[in-house]
Order: sequence, then C-alpha cells, then structure tokens
Amino acid sequence: MTHTGFRDTVAEPMPSLREGPMPRAPKQLGEVVLRVRGLKKNFGDAVVLDGIDFEMRAGEVVGVIGPGGVGKSVFVKICCGLMEPDEGHVEVLGTDLLASDQKTKQRLRERVGLVFQNYALFDFMTVGENVAFPMVQRGLAKADEIQVKVQERLAEVDLPNVRHLMPNELSGGMKKRVGLARANINDPELIFFDDPTAGLDPVTSSKIFNLIRRTQAHRNSTCLVISHDIDRMRPACDRYILLLNGLVHFRGTEADAMHSQDPIVKEFFRKGDGSKKPSDER
Amino acid sequence: MNPLATIGAGFLDASETLGGIVMVLVRILRAMVPPRFDRDETWLNLYKVGVKSYPIVIMTAFFTGAIMVIQSGVYVKQTGATGLLGWGAGYAVLAEIGPVLIGLMFSGRVGANNTAELGTMKVTEQIDALRTLAIDPTHYLVVPRFVSMMLMLVLLTVLGDLFALVGGAITSEFVLEVDYRVFFQGVFNSNLLDEFFTGLIKAITFGASISVISCHYGLSVSGGATGVGRAVNASVVSNAIGIFVFDSIITWFANSSLFR
Ligand SMILES: Nc1ncnc2c1ncn2[C@@H]1O[C@H](COP(=O)(O)OP(=O)(O)OP(=O)(O)O)[C@@H](O)[C@H]1O
Ligand SMILES: [Mg+2]
Repeated sequence: MTHTGFRDTVAEPMPSLREGPMPRAPKQLGEVVLRVRGLKKNFGDAVVLDGIDFEMRAGEVVGVIGPGGVGKSVFVKICCGLMEPDEGHVEVLGTDLLASDQKTKQRLRERVGLVFQNYALFDFMTVGENVAFPMVQRGLAKADEIQVKVQERLAEVDLPNVRHLMPNELSGGMKKRVGLARANINDPELIFFDDPTAGLDPVTSSKIFNLIRRTQAHRNSTCLVISHDIDRMRPACDRYILLLNGLVHFRGTEADAMHSQDPIVKEFFRKGDGSKKPSDER
Repeated sequence: MNPLATIGAGFLDASETLGGIVMVLVRILRAMVPPRFDRDETWLNLYKVGVKSYPIVIMTAFFTGAIMVIQSGVYVKQTGATGLLGWGAGYAVLAEIGPVLIGLMFSGRVGANNTAELGTMKVTEQIDALRTLAIDPTHYLVVPRFVSMMLMLVLLTVLGDLFALVGGAITSEFVLEVDYRVFFQGVFNSNLLDEFFTGLIKAITFGASISVISCHYGLSVSGGATGVGRAVNASVVSNAIGIFVFDSIITWFANSSLFR
C-alpha cells in the first residue's frame, strides 16, 4: 500500500516514522492488557451483550466490527468504566475494573484513552485547550512544553491551524481528529477508538488508520479500533473480532476470515465496497 | 392507573431525587476536605455567577425597597409615624424579602443555566470524556459551582440589601415626602443587625441548595435536548421549593426562644 504521510509541520517529528512503509505488528506480544469474561449488558428487555469473552495483549491492534447497534460502543464504554455491566469480569492493565475503588479507577484512566464516537469535545474550550486539557490537568508539564506537544499532536492529525477555533466551528471529521489528538496527548498505554473515521473522506480515513498503526508502533501502545470501514482499517489491524447478537461471532486475522466458510464473516470481510453491507440493516 | 400506585410511584420518584441530591452534596463535601478543586474553573464561575448577575439583583432589590415603602406609606401618612418607615422596610427586606427574592432570581438565572449547561455536557458525553481523562466531574465541575454560588449569593444579597434600602429611601423622599435621613434613621435606630445576619445565613443556605439541586438535575439528564429541557424545568421548581423550605426552617430557628 502507499504510505500517506502527514504534513511536515510537526514541531517534533516522530523519528523514523515520518516516511517509509507502515510498521508491522511486533512479533513478541506482551502481557494481557485487557481481559473480558462473560460480559453481559441489557437495557430493559433488550439484550445487547450476551456473554463476551475477549483478550488483548500489549502491542496489538484489534479491529472490532459488527452491524450498527450490536453493542460495540457499549462494549468499549464498559471497558473504560463509563458503564456498568450486568454481569461479567473486566480486567484492564492487570486491574479488576469492576472491583476497584474510585481512586484506582482514576489512576487506571490516566493510562487508558478513548476516542468517542460522537467527539465529546469540550464545547466551552478552544481546540487547543481541548487537546491540552488532559496534560494541563495532570500538571506534570510546563506550559510551553504543553503547547509544543499540542501543536505536534494536532499536526499529526493534519490539523495544524485550528487551535484557536471553537469545536462548533469545525466539521464533523475535524472534530473527530481533534478527539483523536486529545485522547493521545498523554500517551496512553491502551487506547479505544470508537469509529475514528466516521464522517471522514477516504484519504483522511486512510491517514488516520495509518496514524493509529504508527502511533502504536512508536509508543508500543495497544489499540482497539471499532470501525465500519473494513477496507481502510485492514492495514492497521492485526486481528479482528466480529460481534453479532451479543456474542463474538468470529475472531481471528484477516486470512482466517478469508478462509472462513461462514457467509456472515465472508460478507463482512468482502473486499471493495466496505461501507454498504446488507447486514447493517438488522 | 390505580391511585395508590400513582402515589407510590410519585413517592419513589421524590425519594430518588432527594437521594440523588444528597449524594451530590456528600460528594461535594468529600471533595472539599482537603479542598481540591479547579482554580481556573472556580474563577470562571465566580465571574459567570456573580458579575453577570448583579444588574438584575440591583434592579430587583431597588424596586423591592421602593414597593415596601409605598405599601406602608398609607399608614405612615395617616399616623405620621415616619420613624417606622425605615424599620418596616429594613426589617422585611433584610430578614426575608431580600434573600428570598434574590434567591429566586438567582435560581431562575444561575440555577437554570447551570442545569442546562451540565445537562448538555451530559448528553453530549462531555462528562464521560472528563471521566475517561481521569478527571472527577465533582472536583472539576461541581465544587467550583458550589463554592461560587454560595459566595456570590451572599455578596449579591448584601448588595441587594443596600440597594433595597436606597430604593426605599428614594421612594420615601420623592413619593411620600419623608426625608431620606428620617428613613435611614429608622433603619439604623431599630438595630436590625440580627435580621441582617439571618438574611446572610439564608443566602448561604440558598446558594448551597441552588447549586446542589441544579447540579444534580444537570448531571442526571438523559435523553437528549428534551431531557435537558425537562431537567431545567424540574430544577427551577425544586429550587423554589428548596428556598421556601429552608427559609421556613431558618426563620423558625431565628425566632425560636432558643436564640433569643
Ligand atoms: N444508554 C442507553 N440506554 C438504552 N439503550 C442503549 C443505551 N446505549 C446503547 N443502547 C442500546 O444498545 C445497543 C447497542 O448500542 P451501541 O451504541 O453499542 O451500538 P454500536 O454497535 O456502537 O452501533 P454503531 O456501529 O452504530 O455505533 C443499541 O441497540 C442501543 O439502542
Ligand atoms: Mg457505536
């Protein structure tokens, strides 16, 4: 595939990642950073998650796909501690999330990032303040260091000139990228991307997945990426899980999917028109 | 529906709301010792709450003072007891009407605004975003509002007291043709310090209740823009109820023999 580089306005470019082919997954995978067992969640009578088992090791990029409304966002929100499951066990970075107190959760969250499906930018702050916010709040860096890093992260997502705008002055795709920069600013070890390329043009989408992969390789983080854009996420993901009817319907690499006899799996991984799938209309 | 079930459901609803409000208060108090809250956000709120509210408070207070004097004017004219004019207006304004009216204005302006703001943040997942960034919404959003609303309502009440008396004095001078010095003499000679402090205690309490109630409704919004609208509605109503309940309690304490 062709490498789509970002503009060279970066204050401090990531060494050796600026050009060249996309780095592949490390051969040696680390310890388990996310472990989910028997996760169940209902909303009233509607069963959304019906016993999800899932594991992710340090250094992996895992794609999560599935029809709209299957519970992908609910799944990541539970993993981030924003929602309580009805049943099950969630272990994040070696800590039992559901059994931990507020302080432990807080410390855990400093090491975990989430890019929201609906941006969730702070609308009372400028773009620059939004991106700087997690760093400012942590209070470990000096003001000018923060500014440099903000500029760098915004340039990474191809938005070097928007820091003085308010979020409502941005397009949907731009907001998405600001959300990406904000979630990344403290270099979390584990990042959840909830549909990071929804509303983006194909070129920017590819750039974003490229960025996800490069960031992962550069900082050796672990990423979980939800997307409907299977074609463009291909180069970024090591393996996938396909959620269906509250369960993990398929797990494995793209090659596994290609050899699968399951028509649903085949349909989801079909090359070409990745956006329109009949099973989206459930 | 069965009327008993309706009553039961209403009771459960009210208990849930009350429980939620108490929980917000508990979280605030826990966050206050040792005091850990965002300084910038507190300054911003002091500005938003105080500086932007004082014109309406001055206006309300001025007319309240004027109305008190006009109301009592008939009797003062009849009896010639001009000395009582300042006492009557001062007593009513400082202990009761000042804090309550300003509290109600404040809840309509600041409390409703606060519920809408937090509610919008809730439905657009900004509160969740704070949490994922390891920032406790209580520390970052609620405590600064609590502190600034309490402080500002006290200051606004003092300001309001002042302008109510000025309004009373001007009215007595120009409408009743009672010298403004006589009016102020009436105020100061009748030793209204107790009433003044009762009024301030009310203002602190109202500030606390308005902030806690409006934050609770804002943070528990669900269901988009209509949810925010409903929450603002409920917040304004509950705030008014809160003001009258606390007003009664404090007035009762202030006038009970225990403290006399
Ligand atoms: N707060 C909530 N209250 C009630 N139901 C909810 C809530 N959040 C999600 N749901 C339900 O859970 C199901 C899964 O929602 P979710 O947002 O996880 O879907 P998704 O897989 O992320 O879809 P998409 O790909 O469109 O983003 C949906 O049917 C939705 O109606
Ligand atoms: Mg979703």
